Amino acid sequence: MQLLNILLDIAKTDSAEGYFPIGLQLLFAAGFVATMMVATHLLGPKRKTADKLENFASGIPTHGDARTPMAIKYFLVAILFVLFDVEVIFFYPYAVNFRELGWTGFWEVLLFVGFFLVGFIYIIKKGALKWED
Amino acid sequence: MQHVWIVLGVLFVLLNVAAGLIWVERRMLAMWQDRLGPNRAGPLGLLIVLADTLKLFFKEDWIPSFADKKIFVIAPAIVVASVLMSFVVIPFAPGIVVADLNIGVLFFLAMSSLGVYSIVLGGWASNNKYSLLGAMRGASQMIAYEVFMGLSLMGVVMMTGSFRLTDIVEAQRSVWFCFTQPLGLILFFIAGIAETHRLPFDIPESESELIAGFHSEYSGMKFGMFFIGEYLGVTLISAMTVTMFFGGWMGPEFLPGWAWFFIKTFAFILFFILLRASLPRPRYDQLMESGWKVLLPLVLVNILVTGAVLLYLKG
Amino acid sequence: MQDADDILKQLQQRFGDTGLQQQQRKDDILTVWLPKEQLIPVTQWLKAAVDKPYKLLYDVCGIDERDRMGNGYLPLKDFTVVYHLFSFERNDFICLKVALEGEYPSLPSITSLYKNANWYEREVYDMFGIRFEGHPHLQRILMPLTWPGHPLRKEHPARATESGPFRLFTEYEDREQNALEFKPEEWGMQRQTDDADFMFLNIGPQHPGTHGVLRIVLQLDGEDIVDAVPEIGFHHRGAEKMGERQSWHTYIPYTDRVDYLGGVMNNLAYLLAVEKLAGIEVPDRVKVIRVMLCELFRISSHLVWFGTFAQDVGQLSPVFYMFTDREKVFDIIEAVCGGRMHPNWFRIGGVAQDLPNGWDGLVRHFVNYFPKRIREYTNMVLRNSLFKGRTKGIGIYTLEEAIEWGVTGAGLRACGFEWDFRKKRPYSGYEMFDFDIPIAQNGDCYDRAIVRVEEMRQSLRIVEQCLNNMPEGSYKADHPLTTPPIKKHTMKDIETLITHFLNVSWGPVIPAGEAMSCIEATKGANSYYLTSDGNTSPYRVRIRTPSFPHMQMVPYISKGYTVADLLSILGSVDFVLADIDR
Repeated sequence: MQLLNILLDIAKTDSAEGYFPIGLQLLFAAGFVATMMVATHLLGPKRKTADKLENFASGIPTHGDARTPMAIKYFLVAILFVLFDVEVIFFYPYAVNFRELGWTGFWEVLLFVGFFLVGFIYIIKKGALKWED
Repeated sequence: MQHVWIVLGVLFVLLNVAAGLIWVERRMLAMWQDRLGPNRAGPLGLLIVLADTLKLFFKEDWIPSFADKKIFVIAPAIVVASVLMSFVVIPFAPGIVVADLNIGVLFFLAMSSLGVYSIVLGGWASNNKYSLLGAMRGASQMIAYEVFMGLSLMGVVMMTGSFRLTDIVEAQRSVWFCFTQPLGLILFFIAGIAETHRLPFDIPESESELIAGFHSEYSGMKFGMFFIGEYLGVTLISAMTVTMFFGGWMGPEFLPGWAWFFIKTFAFILFFILLRASLPRPRYDQLMESGWKVLLPLVLVNILVTGAVLLYLKG
Repeated sequence: MQDADDILKQLQQRFGDTGLQQQQRKDDILTVWLPKEQLIPVTQWLKAAVDKPYKLLYDVCGIDERDRMGNGYLPLKDFTVVYHLFSFERNDFICLKVALEGEYPSLPSITSLYKNANWYEREVYDMFGIRFEGHPHLQRILMPLTWPGHPLRKEHPARATESGPFRLFTEYEDREQNALEFKPEEWGMQRQTDDADFMFLNIGPQHPGTHGVLRIVLQLDGEDIVDAVPEIGFHHRGAEKMGERQSWHTYIPYTDRVDYLGGVMNNLAYLLAVEKLAGIEVPDRVKVIRVMLCELFRISSHLVWFGTFAQDVGQLSPVFYMFTDREKVFDIIEAVCGGRMHPNWFRIGGVAQDLPNGWDGLVRHFVNYFPKRIREYTNMVLRNSLFKGRTKGIGIYTLEEAIEWGVTGAGLRACGFEWDFRKKRPYSGYEMFDFDIPIAQNGDCYDRAIVRVEEMRQSLRIVEQCLNNMPEGSYKADHPLTTPPIKKHTMKDIETLITHFLNVSWGPVIPAGEAMSCIEATKGANSYYLTSDGNTSPYRVRIRTPSFPHMQMVPYISKGYTVADLLSILGSVDFVLADIDR
């Protein structure tokens, strides 16, 4: 408890925002998850049978395992996401500051959206988002 | 010391709500499907929650021999922890917020996007083909809808001029944002369903195709963690919707703020369950396509129109 | 008949009348025996060259003739392979028979002529050991790959007690499991191309989307289906073999379990063939009672399909509403038959009992209640845009493809072809009823759904007509071969008593001959092709079920779609595993 009070003091002096409670929440959340996992590990029975050594493939021996190369399409979507996400991030600071930036800022953002859309249309035209080939 | 109580209180309430949702969802689904639902254990079957939890505790803590063991254990932990962390910034009532960050919205987006790791890692670690397919679907779906989720909130942020959630709630004192930002609300909610991968967008799981998908191989409490994580996610999106668009804790004086918050959040949770009861599931590529080709342009239009209107009103 | 004579004459002109021999059958289907060398040319001619061609390969089956009594006039040898072809333009069947000699004979395969011959020939091979030369992949289809012997051969044991006790030892289980592992090379599939490694995914046998113990092995590139191999037989119970040791009467309950959603509809298909053999004409009341119950079962079967279809595409609730309504149908069926899914209620020459008092009230209540529900379901499911997105344009086949693959029932009508055996070849008095044949144009999953929903409305119309026009009369034909036998004269003279005693204890002796019935069952055309050698039990029971060719077509229509679409396709095909495997 003493330690906790010291920590609380630090938190007060640190910054007005107080990131300390976040650490506290993380601590408790992780603690909860860990407790659950450990508790069930200790409470549950352990019976080793042959069936448990096989993974589920609709009740039939599977052909090969799941460590196979996957179709590139999934990754394409993921990479596109990263691209767009980086671009999208620029909207966030704009959203809080747009009053200060005024109409000039708005036209600039419009231009940015224009560029953004051109890239987007290019991707669609290229068929990168099309699932069926 | 006050922080500790708030954190503990919030966690306590959240976990109980998540557990209670087991009962709520099953009873509500049953009601809408002309069934009874769990009604044997305790009054109205409420003790089914306890029975389910105990059952999960006493199940074998089985880690498949063919799985990637460490990751297999970590994955379900991530989902619960990350969703619980997202609740840090949500103001439940005046003064009842774990950390009233000035980057609240960003913190929420950051934390909720961690959830995708649990799906990808869980599905990959299981070393099962259905799980792998589920994980792949889940990864693409969730990261794509994150983009729209963030953007759909920007309209509200522009109207408030702050990322801080208490500021956003305060800014709705005269009129809730659901009236001024209806498009943002709809888009956010759709993205929210995709983020929580609930029916109709439960494509990573899709019972009838992939047999629970990314968590096919999970059992016992580790499965329970995914389960709780899902309910916490539903609660999170509902709470966020209320905070961002429905005036958070605000409401007529005769009830305290937290009660209003709770009632509104619960209404959205019920709406989540109603959606599950009524809608079929789109196909994976349909979901992605509508995301990129419909939602993304709409979200951008929403931001631009909001900006233009606000600047015009300012003069 | 005129048509049939023509075609026989043309056949004899073209192929010489030395090899060809006609056989008279009780059902008036033109039956021609051919030497096996003539099989390919004759089928080729019948399919392509002849005027009004026989486009549909309706059924292929084998018969082990080695124990058959009498019939010296037929060119019987050791085995016969029987082909039933159907011409929609002629509205007539033709039956080709090839007599084969030897322990494990062989004959040419017609897989190059008819796509759906593939599975039928595999089945004949599986059941009789008859080999088809030129078949692309002649492998067992219903029995496990490890099975010793061929079950429908007469020397194969028919009862468990004839073959010694069965124990599932671990090694045996392992052997069986290993035999089930999928080997892509056997099916001519590649494991990878330059671009991609394929994933081989089991859908089933323990899978919620397959509606039973069906296994489909998918070759996937990402989520796209490159190829698929359905593996059936997990539900095989030897219904045809059982027919050979049951009496004509005691086989009726087994038919219930073939298409287990169709209930008495299966009884009807079987009994129509038996009654043709026995020459029984049933009274009108029997016909109408049978039609009414069959149509009620059609509604109930379609309700199950509708609900599970919606569930396959992720809609959770409709199945509960539809099962509730199905209970309402079962209330009527239970009141009439006493049973629910397997009422076993039709009898040779009639039905088991007369309708109970108050049946009309029950039926009338349902007839008034149900239309509103169908409207509600149409709004709930068919008009849902997500549902449309999942089913429109998915699993398309054209009319030609449908016929080529042997599709019947709603799947055929969804291609814009107005064909319903109830209308075109009326049986059991369907000509007396007024109803429409619903069709749709695109042949995709959605259209198959619309057709079935409309069929429920039409069935309801028929039920209503039965209700309003139920004829008076006996519920059983006045014929010595009906079952249970007529009892009223037994106490008067000893001969009748003895006959009654024999007919009860042994069952009726159905005169020798062959007959095939063909009905429009819930899922498509269902037939029983019965061979009697004048005994108390059938010599051979062949059950032609609609689901079998429909399932065979699934890989063809699911190529290029995704895993999610496969579930839509499976749902829309509406199969019952017991109906496939028998």
